[in-house]
Amino acid sequence: MSRESTSVSAAAADAAGSKRPELPSGIVAFVKRDCPTCELVAPVLAAIARQVPLTVYSQDDPDFPPEVSRRDDRDLAVSWQHEVEAVPTLLRVESGREVERALGWHREEWETLTGVEGLGPGLPAMRPGCGSLSVDPAHASGLAVRFGGSKLKARRIEVASLEDELEVGFERGWSDGLPVVPPTEARVLAMLEGTSRAPDETVAIVPPDLAPCTVEKVAINAVMAGCKPEYLPIVLAAVEAACTDAFNIHGLLATTMSAGPVLIVNGPIRRRVGLNSGKNVFGQGHRANATIGRALQLVIRNVGGGRPGEVDRATLGNPGKLSFCFAEDEEGSPWSPLSTDLGFEEGIDTVTLFPGEGPRTIVDQTSREPESLARSFAASLRTMYTPKMVLAFDAIVAVSPEHARVFREAGWSKADLVARLHDLTRVRGSEVVRGAGGIAEGLPEAVRDRDLPKFRPGGLLVVHVGGGAGLFSAIIPGWANGEMGSQPVCRPIGDGSSRGDLLSGGLSSDGETFAAQEGVRS
Amino acid sequence: MTILLDPTSERVPAERPRAERLERLEGRTVGLLDIAKMRGDVFLDRLENRLEARGARVLRFKKPTFTKPAPVDLRSEIARQCDAVVEALAD
Amino acid sequence: MHDTVDLEDRGVPCVFVSTVEFVDGAEAQARALGTTPIAVYVEHPIQDRTDEEMRALADGALEEIVAKLCNDPG
Repeated sequence: MSRESTSVSAAAADAAGSKRPELPSGIVAFVKRDCPTCELVAPVLAAIARQVPLTVYSQDDPDFPPEVSRRDDRDLAVSWQHEVEAVPTLLRVESGREVERALGWHREEWETLTGVEGLGPGLPAMRPGCGSLSVDPAHASGLAVRFGGSKLKARRIEVASLEDELEVGFERGWSDGLPVVPPTEARVLAMLEGTSRAPDETVAIVPPDLAPCTVEKVAINAVMAGCKPEYLPIVLAAVEAACTDAFNIHGLLATTMSAGPVLIVNGPIRRRVGLNSGKNVFGQGHRANATIGRALQLVIRNVGGGRPGEVDRATLGNPGKLSFCFAEDEEGSPWSPLSTDLGFEEGIDTVTLFPGEGPRTIVDQTSREPESLARSFAASLRTMYTPKMVLAFDAIVAVSPEHARVFREAGWSKADLVARLHDLTRVRGSEVVRGAGGIAEGLPEAVRDRDLPKFRPGGLLVVHVGGGAGLFSAIIPGWANGEMGSQPVCRPIGDGSSRGDLLSGGLSSDGETFAAQEGVRS
Repeated sequence: MTILLDPTSERVPAERPRAERLERLEGRTVGLLDIAKMRGDVFLDRLENRLEARGARVLRFKKPTFTKPAPVDLRSEIARQCDAVVEALAD
Repeated sequence: MHDTVDLEDRGVPCVFVSTVEFVDGAEAQARALGTTPIAVYVEHPIQDRTDEEMRALADGALEEIVAKLCNDPG
């Protein structure tokens, strides 16, 4: 298989900062002795060498093949830096630049490439090659570090061989209480393969220290969290969303209340990376769920400097502050995904950040009518924080498949449900003034005769999650919103996933990020 | 030797923070930790005398072996009882 | 070095005393643990010294030990 070489490879090498060795002009071949196709074409190479300038790089035996001008590439430096994936690979080089290459033996391509006719008369017309040693897993990550390491700018930390590298994370204060994966150069380089963004690109300015955070720093923390490279674009989008003024991660971190960042993912990326939206969706057991949420918190801790006992003053906190990330079950939902309520088209990969506490279960195993079930939901919602706390709250209502069926069969849209819940969670002022119910907490006397909402307009978000049997749904209580609080923020996930145009209308000033506005669209 | 990449903002030096030094020696408890190499006890005996002469209270401890870090119980005990520590004598 | 580093992590100021032979080892260990050593070095060798000589070594090291434990040696 032959292909035109473009200047992409050279540009990539320049961007990586490595000095790629220039190839000699003429014809260049990469071979290894331990390859039947390379053995087969050894006489062909000799024949080429009699007609045109040919240089052969050998990956395993400097004396192979005979009768040609050879270079020893046993350290694989040249093979790696010229992205040789198979042997034999034949290249034509003009003025130090590669103009064409062929992989494996292919008479027609080799004759065109070299300009030499009648090659390999006794050979089959074509034969595939073998894997290049430079992409062999045994060698590849060492080569990646050797030649890619220079694009990593983070300070290096030396760990003595007698030290337990898992303890280092604890000793240096990098850990959230659980062991972190040691962020070696090889692991971080592998993680950076998950994005096409440059490692030194700034992703966000992270509170509370207001430290600039690069793609590389996110990758380091993603490694520590245990992420796979394909999760990285989600973590990057989450960091961006968290650090917006609207989300106010600083306020959320510094609060004495219990909330932390909750990540909800929509779009095809859920399936691609294995995010769970079904059984035990809020619990343990799925790597993507556990590590993506964790990575965000590690960035806030390590880059932003936000730690419990310091800026984080939570009295009680909640277990979700270790990690709280899940996917919405879009396929089974009677409604459109959460992302469409926040300004995005269905099918776009997004992550929504919500300032939330741990989930509280709603049990209703009897209601068959939507009105009855909505009243169950509302009764639970009214007790969020306490029934006397009203006016400006947000919450996510997480509707399970069995409960969603009730609404589906009755033909209730998401907007219908949300509107009903807003109505049903209104209270009389007389119930919530100070002293009412024998409880000192409450609102001033002035509101006694008013009718008050529990939630702000647009403050109730609905997701469809969970799996298996179970007539349960859940509330994820929000934190304070408004100027001093935190707005939910939805951000598209970049990097080859489905980005698209925002819905018209209701855009925030940052064109790509949509903060929850009043009203619900579906 | 493993090389790790720093996950922090790098605003603080990579160094571990060090404990604060004592204001003065007088009235404080100094632990002398013998690493259990030979002749170290003679050295530490003399240090003990000199430090007591300076008004410090001295407590003596000894590791079971110089080939490993001190057992965690011993370190806990030392940390609990002492304001400062001298570990000697490695050669 | 591990003991003194651990005790420092627990808030106890420490000094590590060794012979000059151990300088490189101490520096390497300390660096690997993310710190610089607070150490006092005495002359090598140790093993064949008389008790008198050992006491003299202790006397000689005392000021530096105290200086490294205290802000104000007094």
